[in-house]
Amino acid sequence: MQKASAQDDAAFAEIVSRYSPRVFRVASRFFRQRSLVEEAAQEVFLKAFTQLESFEGRGALEGWLTRIATNTCLNMIRASKRRPEMTAADLNEEQMDWLGHKQSMLAGEEHRSTENRVVAADLAERLLETLSAEDRLAVTMIDGEGASVKEVANTTGWSESKVKVRAFRARKRLREAMDKLLKRAG
Amino acid sequence: MKQNHITDLLDKEPLASLSEQELAAIREHVKNCTACAGAYQAAQLSELLVKERVAEITEPSPFFHTRVMAAWREQQATNQGSVFARWWKPARALVSALALTTAALAALTFTIPESASQPAVETIAESTVLGVENEGQMTEDQMLSAMYVDEEEAP
Repeated sequence: MQKASAQDDAAFAEIVSRYSPRVFRVASRFFRQRSLVEEAAQEVFLKAFTQLESFEGRGALEGWLTRIATNTCLNMIRASKRRPEMTAADLNEEQMDWLGHKQSMLAGEEHRSTENRVVAADLAERLLETLSAEDRLAVTMIDGEGASVKEVANTTGWSESKVKVRAFRARKRLREAMDKLLKRAG
Repeated sequence: MKQNHITDLLDKEPLASLSEQELAAIREHVKNCTACAGAYQAAQLSELLVKERVAEITEPSPFFHTRVMAAWREQQATNQGSVFARWWKPARALVSALALTTAALAALTFTIPESASQPAVETIAESTVLGVENEGQMTEDQMLSAMYVDEEEAP
């Protein structure tokens, strides 16, 4: 029993070491706060190891862990039920400046500085928080990471048409929210 | 007319994935449509923001491994506790029945009236004094006296 337990410990430690970067990458799509990313990653590893028997060995362990990580994060976001509406009044001065300099942003010059990237990521997070967890995932993977519709479908278990609908809806909401902000900031 | 606006095209795919023909149609349309020009700019900016957000990845801290291992061991300990609980659930009825039987036997032993058990005790004590080992077995003296009685009673 002790031997089995020690073997489990070693196997678990190995899986955590090897796949932590991947799981953190997935959790970072959903959460920006380190504590939340770590909480999600921990839950993923504990869940994965207790369900290890259900891993049939088809495909890579990494893909299986990615699916568990995605579903775990989706559930965490659903449970938190955070979908605040965003208004220009919610933005801080830096974010308003960022929007004010939108032309140079689009030219790909100004946003490259580290400080501006942080402001942009802050603003992006505020916008993404207004989406449902599923819409957020679709637009983050496709528009942000350049994943194909098929890849998102494989990761989530959704149909390809569902992925397309989710991404379409997310883009529309983000665009409309940004349009409102630009009008108020401009 | 609404169907001539390009907002659906903007939301259909990432802007970088649109064909040259589609991009040309968008650029042409926004020249004369202020609403769509604003929408195009908003689409470009929101896509840029999503990319910036995705580029921000939280790396595992050096303490994460230790933390998750501690949580794993804690979960294992909890599971071992629940293994006992799983064993106990079906066994509980049997153990309870055995305990009840034992209690009932104990109660019977101490509550049966003394008079009911007295003769048995007396018989044992008498047998001991008389040297009778077994109830059904007669001693030599008893056999002889029985024989003489039979002869005296015979005509």
